[in-house]
Amino acid sequence: MSEALSLPTAPVDPPTPTPARRSLATIASGLANASVWTRLGLALGAYAVCLGLFSLVVWSQGANPTGVITTIFNSALVDNGSIDQILLRAVPIVLAALAVSVPARAGLVNVGGEGGLIIGAIAATGTALYIVGPGVSSVVALPLMALAGIAAGALWSAIAAVLRVFVNANEAVTTLLLNFIANDILLYLLYQPWKAPGGTGQPQSKPLSANTTLPHIFGNTLNLGVIIALVAALGVYLLLTRTSWGFALRVVGGNQRAASRAGLPVKRLMISSMAVGGGLAGLGGMLYLAGTQLQLLPGGTATFGYIAFLAAFLGRHNPLGVTLAALLFSAIAISAPGLQLNYGLDGNVVDILLALAVAAPLAISASRKKAF
Amino acid sequence: MHQQTAARRLPELTSPARRALIALLAALGVIAIMVAGAANSTAASKKEPWAGATTVGFIMVGAENDEGYNQAVYSASLQVKQALGVKTLLAANVPETQQVTAVMQQMVDQGAKIIFATSFGYQDYAYAFAKSHPSVLVLHQGGTYTGKTFPANLGTYFGEAYDPVSLGGMAAGAVTKSNKLGFVYAFPIPQTVDNVDAFELGAQKIDPKAVTYTDATSEWCDPLKQKAAASALLSTGVDVLTQHQDCQSTVVEAAKAANAYVVGYHYDAEALDPKGWLTGSVWNWAPLYESIIKTAQSGKFTSSKYNANFIGTFASGDNPLELAPFGASVPSSVRPKIIAYENQLKKGATIFTGPIYCNNGKLLVPKGKTATPAQINQFTCFVKGVVASGG
Amino acid sequence: MNGIEQTLISGVEGGTIILYPALGELIGERAGIVNLGTEGCMLAGALAAYAAAATTGSAWVGVLAGMAAGGLVSLVHAWMVVKRKADQLASGLVLWFLVIGLTSVLGASFVSSIVTPLPIVRVPLLGSIPWLGDILFDHDPLVYASYVLVGAVWWMLYRTRAGLVLRASGERPEVVAVAGRRPDRVQIAAVTIGGTLAGIGGAQLSVGYVDSWFDNMTNGYGFIAVAVVLFAVWRPLLVLAGSYLFGIALAAASVLQAHNVAINQYLLDALPYLVTLVALVAFARRGGARTPEGLARALNNTS
Repeated sequence: MSEALSLPTAPVDPPTPTPARRSLATIASGLANASVWTRLGLALGAYAVCLGLFSLVVWSQGANPTGVITTIFNSALVDNGSIDQILLRAVPIVLAALAVSVPARAGLVNVGGEGGLIIGAIAATGTALYIVGPGVSSVVALPLMALAGIAAGALWSAIAAVLRVFVNANEAVTTLLLNFIANDILLYLLYQPWKAPGGTGQPQSKPLSANTTLPHIFGNTLNLGVIIALVAALGVYLLLTRTSWGFALRVVGGNQRAASRAGLPVKRLMISSMAVGGGLAGLGGMLYLAGTQLQLLPGGTATFGYIAFLAAFLGRHNPLGVTLAALLFSAIAISAPGLQLNYGLDGNVVDILLALAVAAPLAISASRKKAF
Repeated sequence: MHQQTAARRLPELTSPARRALIALLAALGVIAIMVAGAANSTAASKKEPWAGATTVGFIMVGAENDEGYNQAVYSASLQVKQALGVKTLLAANVPETQQVTAVMQQMVDQGAKIIFATSFGYQDYAYAFAKSHPSVLVLHQGGTYTGKTFPANLGTYFGEAYDPVSLGGMAAGAVTKSNKLGFVYAFPIPQTVDNVDAFELGAQKIDPKAVTYTDATSEWCDPLKQKAAASALLSTGVDVLTQHQDCQSTVVEAAKAANAYVVGYHYDAEALDPKGWLTGSVWNWAPLYESIIKTAQSGKFTSSKYNANFIGTFASGDNPLELAPFGASVPSSVRPKIIAYENQLKKGATIFTGPIYCNNGKLLVPKGKTATPAQINQFTCFVKGVVASGG
Repeated sequence: MNGIEQTLISGVEGGTIILYPALGELIGERAGIVNLGTEGCMLAGALAAYAAAATTGSAWVGVLAGMAAGGLVSLVHAWMVVKRKADQLASGLVLWFLVIGLTSVLGASFVSSIVTPLPIVRVPLLGSIPWLGDILFDHDPLVYASYVLVGAVWWMLYRTRAGLVLRASGERPEVVAVAGRRPDRVQIAAVTIGGTLAGIGGAQLSVGYVDSWFDNMTNGYGFIAVAVVLFAVWRPLLVLAGSYLFGIALAAASVLQAHNVAINQYLLDALPYLVTLVALVAFARRGGARTPEGLARALNNTS
């Protein structure tokens, strides 16, 4: 978080600061103004309100709120094998969240994590099944698949970036639309050219051969993807804080016009930030495919991209915070089955908790300045 | 503090008489365990881990009140609970992702020894779970296990949909005035193609001029797309609708709004449209579930017919898919014909008896031949009379 | 009835479902606030309408309930953004997620409810015009209300003082403040009205068009509405055109299939989104100069 405070403070706002998007700097400086205790109190208060609202919903469905919250807690930390499941599920979420955070540094809103995961998985499947084949060693096959996933994801997001830079099409909307299109591409491939032969024709590709799946680590459930995801998070941190590219992104994100006046290649930076983000999402798709799914399936990353978006905001676009938020969300999401079995609640009830968890800091991050 | 209380208790335990008593009890305990262990081990080779199971889990991919596929599972689970007195654990809206693994684990943690995973997309997760949990019986609805050795704790099961669907087609053929029928589906997978073909061929038995128009929504339950598809079909002159989707109420309502007829699927939704409802192919899972559970409870599952890719058929009398009762609009003159054909199906006949041609002219089933279930489950072409470009 | 006519008829029905939230979003964005939670407002409206209609037996009560639900969700967004200075895009998306969870849980018991939908009413005289009569004047009353609404929004924006204040709040709020009005109140009102309209769109979906309720039934159509406003460069008539364009693309997919035109079904499924993307690209460049300044700051982070 320290680098957020050392950002150049936003320039004196023109006398029309409508509720515009705040950059990291102004949020941070706004919070820094308040005393530590006020901040802590506000945060705790906001979370208490969240839990309270959640409890209300739960109670309205005839379930016991304390029991539900305990179950969520238990299933995340106490139950058998949950840690493994949490880590496995966190892999695509962490990467898709990083995919949001890198462009966010440049002031861009990338909601295309979902599409990136899908495109990455598609590219990795194509590479594994039709380019690499079962004879090639994993040492060659897996990195090839990863490269394919990264490249495909990067290109997919670059489409939205180019549209934003050259035609001023808002990237939040274009990446959303591209998500839908990516899903249709996936369905087409699974039902037509890549349909697994034999079977009942239900949508799935041929299963990946052993040399194209990620090796297990620490036993039989976790796979190498967990390590790779953590390394990626660390890499993104270094990229954003220790390279001139990362610094340039932050300048663009802070004030685009000033950055271009200062001679920074704003367009190139915006496109490259989206490409890097897309590449990360593509990697996430490849890791989830080669580590957990082991064949291309429809809907496998259902809503991961959107959960990742929320995690990125909760983690304030800081790679460490984002990773922790992704783990937290993964842990909360894992409690859904238990809630259903024990309390008869619909599994989607955890979405309420996730959304509230992000809404809380959003609601309390107000700057002290009046708008007008 | 702890040490003091312990010290206060110890003097009692350390008296010689008590020590002897404890030793005796311990010895008896050890003997008891050994005897039980011996009994278990002689039975272990015969006793299946789920024998005598009292808790059964059901996992559904959609809502348990969807008037369709999942409600059929839910209703059956209630019947099973009542008939067999087992405890049932229910999970609905479980997506076809690795989340289902967590659900199965949770059910096992709560004592389930038998789990029914009732959606096709759970396949890989169900098989993996069976492999990693040999003491849990996993039943997968709708899948096909293609591995070399069939695991002892796994079974897949389904029914033959195209038989009752062809009967529904007959009803449709009887009431249509425009000779145009409409079929809404998601994707042209063999199961769906079988249904569309059976529907058309059934209709042709009553009305040789019947034609079936089709519309693919690319979704299993998207009401807006279903409504658009239904409207499009109705606008071509179709006056009977049917569908292969997970949820059917939108299509039924669309038929109702247009005063058209409807043949249902998965679940009896006559209440939604009493005037337009003809009949439907509806799941009656309870008998099959009960049979599987009883086989498991008696410890005879392994190597039974359920420890395989089981397909219930009309011919063998255990098809979980049945013909729904006739709606008021089915003419009384055609009902005996449909029942008569149903009896033929129950004796082993099938609608896929040659000569049958694809709508692109290719020969599907030669004259005098009957397609086998294995062949039928690989069909990809729509038959002559179906207006579609699939296959 | 031929395919083109059916495409246009279904296009109007589907387009109306997009038109209501799009008009609502237009009003909000003119005041400088983007609401990506429009999807949530629509979804909440759809459930509220269906549940209320199932409970009271009247689809019109359902429409009222849908308005209230949509308005309530957008009020939260307005509060977060205007009073708490939250990031507009994040706030909208978070609310969407929240609504998905809430409607899944609260809506579970209504999936199998039976609801009588809004009546289809053929407009006398106008409805007898060949062709146009079927396409425009043979729907449920909410469709007719939307025709009037487009005109009303246009009139409000360009011919009334309220519209002037609204537009000014999105361009130069300090001017509005100097003139003695409260731009923040204008913005909150605008966003809430927007959400109310989105709620009507949801009601039209669940009790007007498909007559059912299912989890997440709006399936992204609220986001399409936001996209439509962007490429319609915030003009009501273009919003109408854009909404119908999407509706027609959606309907075309079904009609082409029913008439056995051999186009790949996955391409047809992606068609509406592709069409929207292309329109966005084609018209967005023109939009740059016309973006309400406040909105530009929110969306592009320029200052």
